[in-house]
Amino acid sequence: MGEKNTPLLAVLQLLRKYNLKGTEDILRKEASLGDVEFENLDLPEVELASILTSHHTESDPYSYEFAYDNLKKFIENSLDVYKYELSTLLYPVFVHMYLALILYDHNEHASNFFEKFGAEQEDYCQEDLMRLAAVKTKDQIKGNELAEIYSTNKFVVQLSRDASSQLKRFLQEQKSSTVIINIINNHIQVEVHDGPGRTQAQVRATAGGMLGEATRNENRTKVYYGLLKEPDIQVLPAPVEDEEEVEETPDKPKKKKAKKEHIFMKKPKSDPNAPPNERIPLPELKETDKIEKGKALREASKRIQLGPDSLPSICFYTLLNSGHTAICTDICDDSTLLAVGFSNSSIKVWTLTPVKLRGMKSAEKLQDIDREAGDVLVRMMEEKDRDTCRTLFGHSGPVYKVMFDPFKTMLLSCSEDSTVRLWSLQCWTCLVVFRGHVWSVWDVRWSPHGHYFVTAGHDRTARLWATDHHQPLRIFSGHLSDVDCVQFHPNSNYVATGSSDRTVRVWDCLTGTQVRIMTGHKSTIFTLAFSVCGRWLASGGNGELIVWDISTGSPAALIPPTHTAPIHALAFSRDGTILSSGSLDCNIILWDFNAITEEANGEEAGTTNNTTVQKEDKFLLRSFATKNSPIKGLHFTRRNLLLAVGSYEGSS
Amino acid sequence: MGDSEFAYGSSMSVDSMKVIAESIGIASLGDDAAKELADDVTFRLKVIVQDSLKFMHHSKRQKLSTTDIDHALRVKNIECQYGFIQPDSLPFRFASGGGRELHFVEEKEVDLTEILYAPPPKIPLDVSVRAHWLSVDGVQPTVPENPPPLSKEAQKLESVDPISKLSKPTNKDAAGKPMCGKAARLKASESVHVKQLATHELSVEQQLYYKEITEACVGSDEGRRAEALQSLACDPGLHEMLPRMCTFISEGVKVNVVQNNLALLIYLMRMVKALLDNQSLYLEKYLHELIPSVSTCIVSRQLCLRPEMDNHWALRDFAARLMAQICKTFNTSTNNLQTRVTRLFARALQCPSQTNNETGVGPSMVTTMKESEKTPLASLYGAVQGLAELGPEVIKVFILPRVRWLGERVEGALSGLGGADRLAAGNLKHQLLKVLAPVVRQLRQPPDLPDEYKRDYGYLGPSLQHAVGKIRTSPPHVSHLSHVTHTPKTVDTIASRSMVISASPAPQSPAPSTPPPQKFVIVSQQKAPQTQPASGAGHIVVHSSQPTIVRSQNVQSVVVTSGPASGAAPAQKVVVVGVQPPHHHAPPAPALVSQAPVSVVAKPVFARGGTPQQPPELDDLSHLA
Repeated sequence: MGEKNTPLLAVLQLLRKYNLKGTEDILRKEASLGDVEFENLDLPEVELASILTSHHTESDPYSYEFAYDNLKKFIENSLDVYKYELSTLLYPVFVHMYLALILYDHNEHASNFFEKFGAEQEDYCQEDLMRLAAVKTKDQIKGNELAEIYSTNKFVVQLSRDASSQLKRFLQEQKSSTVIINIINNHIQVEVHDGPGRTQAQVRATAGGMLGEATRNENRTKVYYGLLKEPDIQVLPAPVEDEEEVEETPDKPKKKKAKKEHIFMKKPKSDPNAPPNERIPLPELKETDKIEKGKALREASKRIQLGPDSLPSICFYTLLNSGHTAICTDICDDSTLLAVGFSNSSIKVWTLTPVKLRGMKSAEKLQDIDREAGDVLVRMMEEKDRDTCRTLFGHSGPVYKVMFDPFKTMLLSCSEDSTVRLWSLQCWTCLVVFRGHVWSVWDVRWSPHGHYFVTAGHDRTARLWATDHHQPLRIFSGHLSDVDCVQFHPNSNYVATGSSDRTVRVWDCLTGTQVRIMTGHKSTIFTLAFSVCGRWLASGGNGELIVWDISTGSPAALIPPTHTAPIHALAFSRDGTILSSGSLDCNIILWDFNAITEEANGEEAGTTNNTTVQKEDKFLLRSFATKNSPIKGLHFTRRNLLLAVGSYEGSS
Repeated sequence: MGDSEFAYGSSMSVDSMKVIAESIGIASLGDDAAKELADDVTFRLKVIVQDSLKFMHHSKRQKLSTTDIDHALRVKNIECQYGFIQPDSLPFRFASGGGRELHFVEEKEVDLTEILYAPPPKIPLDVSVRAHWLSVDGVQPTVPENPPPLSKEAQKLESVDPISKLSKPTNKDAAGKPMCGKAARLKASESVHVKQLATHELSVEQQLYYKEITEACVGSDEGRRAEALQSLACDPGLHEMLPRMCTFISEGVKVNVVQNNLALLIYLMRMVKALLDNQSLYLEKYLHELIPSVSTCIVSRQLCLRPEMDNHWALRDFAARLMAQICKTFNTSTNNLQTRVTRLFARALQCPSQTNNETGVGPSMVTTMKESEKTPLASLYGAVQGLAELGPEVIKVFILPRVRWLGERVEGALSGLGGADRLAAGNLKHQLLKVLAPVVRQLRQPPDLPDEYKRDYGYLGPSLQHAVGKIRTSPPHVSHLSHVTHTPKTVDTIASRSMVISASPAPQSPAPSTPPPQKFVIVSQQKAPQTQPASGAGHIVVHSSQPTIVRSQNVQSVVVTSGPASGAAPAQKVVVVGVQPPHHHAPPAPALVSQAPVSVVAKPVFARGGTPQQPPELDDLSHLA
């Protein structure tokens, strides 16, 4: 088939698409095209568009540079009020001009154009530009993930009303060259918002998403960020007291009761923002789970109040001889077990208390046990083999995340081998293999109430599972790149995901829809954490840390980047006053979370505080360096002691 | 953004394609085909590397490894590249020739039998967990598991750029005490940021530590001393005590050089050595105290009671090595440390004729001439040693032109009557031959004629010729080593030198018996270097790269006795610098840092002042004795 015929074929395909039979027949006759060629009409959309527009004036490669220069000059000369908003246009226009040049086969011009203007794009775009720069010919656009995303989606730019009218006026002046007008029409979605133009800081705060900013409309849905009413706490004190603290003084229980009541009092009777308890069906608590909950509550009553004046103590667990092999860690809720996932596909579980790890008895021996006995749970465990460390084998690729369930009986792990495994901590064997993800699974998290869990992977989806189904209950898709991290909301109704497309999204577990999309990160997001109250979401990327307000979907406060390497661990203290972040730069930083939320609330109320100068040390309480041990996990115990895990990487 | 621009365009070259094609048997790959291939390969490689970065990030690493690439290939449904298991990095070798540059993986042939019969390698240690307190109530305890409170980089930054400390909030890092309670409230209420005075309070534990360490370092128990020095050399978190330690050393040297207490000077130098060796300390701020002390121990006219008997040469050698180490570590373009030190030593070697040539006739010249005319031989020895440690280039420029004059001094002293002078001259000669021979060997062409040497180098010419000849004939690997005069191995001389310390009050020394008991040192040489035969000298030159070996042949021992001493100060302990900082002299304020090295050069009085017995600074110290 000759080159000449390609445009004709494209036209034919178009006619066929719109079902214009008559015209199609006439054209075929006139061009004397046989049926053979007709069969091969399956040009991809992108190419079709490029072929059909190639007879346009746009194919003049020189007009692009000129047009981009013009746009730049217009933006530079516009008033400061509009300048920063308008400057967000530059990047998408640049990208689409480059792609257009390549589509029209002006490869030389394209790379010249790239060299000339690539370096002056915002620094956070550079990573994408590097990936885009690999695309040098038309064929490669098809193979490139990023180029495809750009050509099939619209880039969102938010402008104030005045700025957008300025832009319109400029575009009207540009009648002679339609390049920019076409790009803005076809590939850029201009969102007009009321109110004054934003400042540079404001624009920067939300810029950075792969496809520009989040539109306001997307964040309109109401999110029930309040906590669930804890049901049966009142029942608990009875089974709790007889457990282990018999040796303590007899007046102890009384005290405890008083304190506990105090804790109950603090809980609001009914949170207007809380979802109904039955919104998501939660499993009934088992007797053992109740005991566990009771323990948690009793521990919580001994909690130390943290604040800027009383910082937590940090106990650091160093993994020796692990080098680069230790990948992920988790400490169970009552801080007695530590699990570590390794790059050699194994998982190790250590006990952090003198209590040894025990396996269950064999099936024959289990039959002999009286099932009605009160201590059946103790009896069924093996007496002999006790260990401080147990290893779980099963995966066939690096284990990227391990997590204990809230009741300390099960462990979830996810791996490069695209599976998620559920392990029993009583038999020390794998119970279920969950298959569903196509490529590696980056993250897995239990719901705070157990039963449900959510995974995220390289296939750009996050999936919600229940332990009793072998298939996912929900698939959350919409991210434009890998979903790198995931986190359950404390009320189990929502799931937050962070992705390489530099957005954080919140999904409703009930409907499976996206309820929040938040932009502002300038790099891949590696970890997420919900605040204790459920309203705030902290996300850590490559050195940057952002706290979001779930109620509005906007960043709550600008935290100046202090870490110099990816943040892989975030933890809120149990009373929600301190946020700790751990990074690969071997530093743990404690942030004053009260100050952060106060600032956010203050901004809401409209009090403009001019303390931006002191921002550097406004939130940062303290940073602790470790000895060449990158932080891989952080955990606050119920009494607010901070546990950190890192692997020592030698003294070089 | 030069970097990124470069990176945008980076691509595989057409040449590489051709080389790869050749290696798999395609002899003639067309230019166009190669170009096409190169573009395609570049694109694919970039995509794979981009994907493998994801795997790197999720493995919580900051270094890409071969396994990441394997995983990325798996995602693309490409078979992994087997056989690249390299823990650190791929051993790419570089070769160029014929206008082409090549990077290739060197594949060594592995002998299987060797592997089969070799003992099995050790089983790698299993991963284990170890807990420690990173912070207790917001304060980071200084335990070995935690990093030193102030990193070496931070110390360096502080000494190079003191302003950086002011601009940064000081209370945020983990070191020091947290702001709480009243202090925090004060800070919140007062907006004026008052610059904090440099705090030098030591905690009680630190005071105890300081006391213990300093006592052990200068005490008589060699075991404890070794422990103390080990602690100084290894412990992190000593930086808070550094000002005091350095003052201790510098005051100690001042006092003991006056009293000619060789042993204590050696101990103090060992302390300097330990501090220099400590990986967590950055000493630049304290060089203004250390350098005068060290240079005193190198060039001082007299370091011991009986120069004819005691081995103060070892101290000079050791201190010279320390000085070289200091120069190497701390020399920067701003402090010009090495230049200054070199100038200091070179001035001591200034021979009258040269000053004549350089400065012309003037009153200052006369004094210089007189001064250098009477520079004691011991100081000359120190200066030569100090320069020699700085490297062959320095020897060539500063010592070699003065050989003739030095030779005259040596000749004069050897033919003279004074026993001490003869010994010193012998040592100086020996030292000169040792350091000069390798340099001369490099400079001159093989036919070594005694006459020429005599003409060029004066009195020392013939011996030098002999020494050079000896080097030339010795095996090549030894001669190769010989011009590396400052191998790190030699630094431990003093530490490994045998020291006999006896507590018996009646030494064999003919010391005048004065009633107040005092610790002092008698250093006796069992074999005087002078008595060495000519062949022995040649032997030494051959091994000049290893002065330790050479020196240990003539067994030297330092005998420390506590007993009657010479009629010096009547106090029991000579060196005591209180825990309270002697703030009226030498305050270790950061402001002094910039001028500090200047004062080093300005005070060579220590070494060759007219009356080293009574330096004026000592008046302040009288209460310390």
